[in-house]
Amino acid sequence: PTGDSWGIFTFLCAALCNLPALPALNCSEELGAGQSIQQTYDLTRYLEHQLRTLAGTYLNYLGPPFNEPDFNPPRLARAERVPSATVDLDLWRGLTDNARLAANYRAYSRLLCYLRVLDGQVGTAELRHRLAHFCASLQGLVLSIGGVMSSLGYPLPAGPAGPPAGPPGAPAAPNDFLKKMDDFWLLKELQTWLWRSAKDFNRLKKKVPPAVVTLRLEARGF
Amino acid sequence: ESHTQYERVGADVTMKCGSMDWDAAVTWTANGTDIDESHLNGSYLILKNVDLSQSGQYSCYEGSSWHLKYQTYLRVGTPPKEPVLMCRSNNYPKGFYCSWHLPTPTYIPNTFNISVIHGTKDMVCEKDAVPKNRCHIRYLQLFSTVKYKVTLTVTNALGKNFTTLTFDEFAIVKPDPPESVVAKPVPNNPRRLEVSWQNPSSWPDPESFPLKFFLRYRPLILDQWQHVELSDGTSHTITDAYAGKEYIIQVAAKDNDIGTWSDWSVAVHATPWTEEPKHLTTEAQITETTSASTSSFMAPPTTKICDKGAVVGSGAMAVCWTAGLVVAAYSVLFI
Repeated sequence: PTGDSWGIFTFLCAALCNLPALPALNCSEELGAGQSIQQTYDLTRYLEHQLRTLAGTYLNYLGPPFNEPDFNPPRLARAERVPSATVDLDLWRGLTDNARLAANYRAYSRLLCYLRVLDGQVGTAELRHRLAHFCASLQGLVLSIGGVMSSLGYPLPAGPAGPPAGPPGAPAAPNDFLKKMDDFWLLKELQTWLWRSAKDFNRLKKKVPPAVVTLRLEARGF
Repeated sequence: ESHTQYERVGADVTMKCGSMDWDAAVTWTANGTDIDESHLNGSYLILKNVDLSQSGQYSCYEGSSWHLKYQTYLRVGTPPKEPVLMCRSNNYPKGFYCSWHLPTPTYIPNTFNISVIHGTKDMVCEKDAVPKNRCHIRYLQLFSTVKYKVTLTVTNALGKNFTTLTFDEFAIVKPDPPESVVAKPVPNNPRRLEVSWQNPSSWPDPESFPLKFFLRYRPLILDQWQHVELSDGTSHTITDAYAGKEYIIQVAAKDNDIGTWSDWSVAVHATPWTEEPKHLTTEAQITETTSASTSSFMAPPTTKICDKGAVVGSGAMAVCWTAGLVVAAYSVLFI
């Protein structure tokens, strides 16, 4: 099925590029959107694998009970500021491409902010190194999503220009244990987002190429 | 008066004849058969170290009048051991099901109670009519960070027990095996087999939640499987089958990104296409046919073995094939 969509898409692109009345469409740009969705998908899978190692190391650093596999704490109200991937099933299905991409963009931008705060605080050199590497990859993911949005003509969501310390008004953790809880939930949300993104980009992969051509035609008054 | 009485295997049971005095003259029966007086202590019936065979109806009659004074149904059993619980999502993202059973029978009636907690919320697991001991839950939310905690309690007249499972939404995703697996030979291709299958019908949305597949195949005569992982599509052509050998083929499925592999599908058998055997009369023809059908696995050694002292007739063909295959098998093992 993927092959068929590509065939139709390439044909349409070639046909449009040859119409004399139109200025030449930048076909490589449209093809690029489909490819960069695939690249973004691959990046989320890579990050998911990276996170497993990072989370393992970090939770061991936090010590018990955070590194116990059965650890299942209740969500405290303060943890809600970390963007959650959890969503109603029908709502998720019905998201427009723009909304779907924007949700991912916003989530990872904020998660990146929080992770950078973490980076500044951890004790061991090994952890700092791993975190720095992960943050760099995560930054790459944010840029990749932004790239897909731009190539599809969607505006980038307003940047989460929150200060590195977190959104204004959020209190710093009053004690060491609660701080560790915050870290635990941050990693959990990050992991869940990466699982969700794989599904988000699966949907986008199947839908984007024909939709792109339609978008461009509309822009030219067809 | 009559009622049911539950006792543990190995227990000592004392049955009183209703409100009769200890020294009253009574007769006890078990399932209608008189019980010997040696089991009586006055009017009480004593059963020591009861076993399962002693389950049944016990009745007590007044000595002279033969009025029925008391009746009880004795059921010998055991308290429940820790139940075995399993939860799985074969229809992601719709929900999941849990099924359970007791590791050993109790021989008396048991009731099962299942509770599902998601964070602070209690969820209802709807019991299935068939099979029994199974219930299902619909996901209200997707991509949850909070674990699900499922507790199964089993209770009977002699005791209770329970077990708990805690898991993430993603961890229990395991599709059913692929369906309608079909393997066919490819005409004029002695080393090919075309395999096709379908997504399991229980997987509700393969468009948004695509499956990937794992194919394994081997000739019946060898023990070692060959594996191919396929990230999309529901068909594959095997191109390195040993000519003329019957193959066994199975397929498994997994969500592209999360969860675990399904069980293997039902096995299918297929043999690659072979040319119709011709009637051979000369040594030269045997050599020709043999080398035409060999592959990189089987080339020179086969021909040489068959060349030396080759005998005319189809029996020789069989010898050549077997010899070639043995050599091929050894070379596969040493790769």
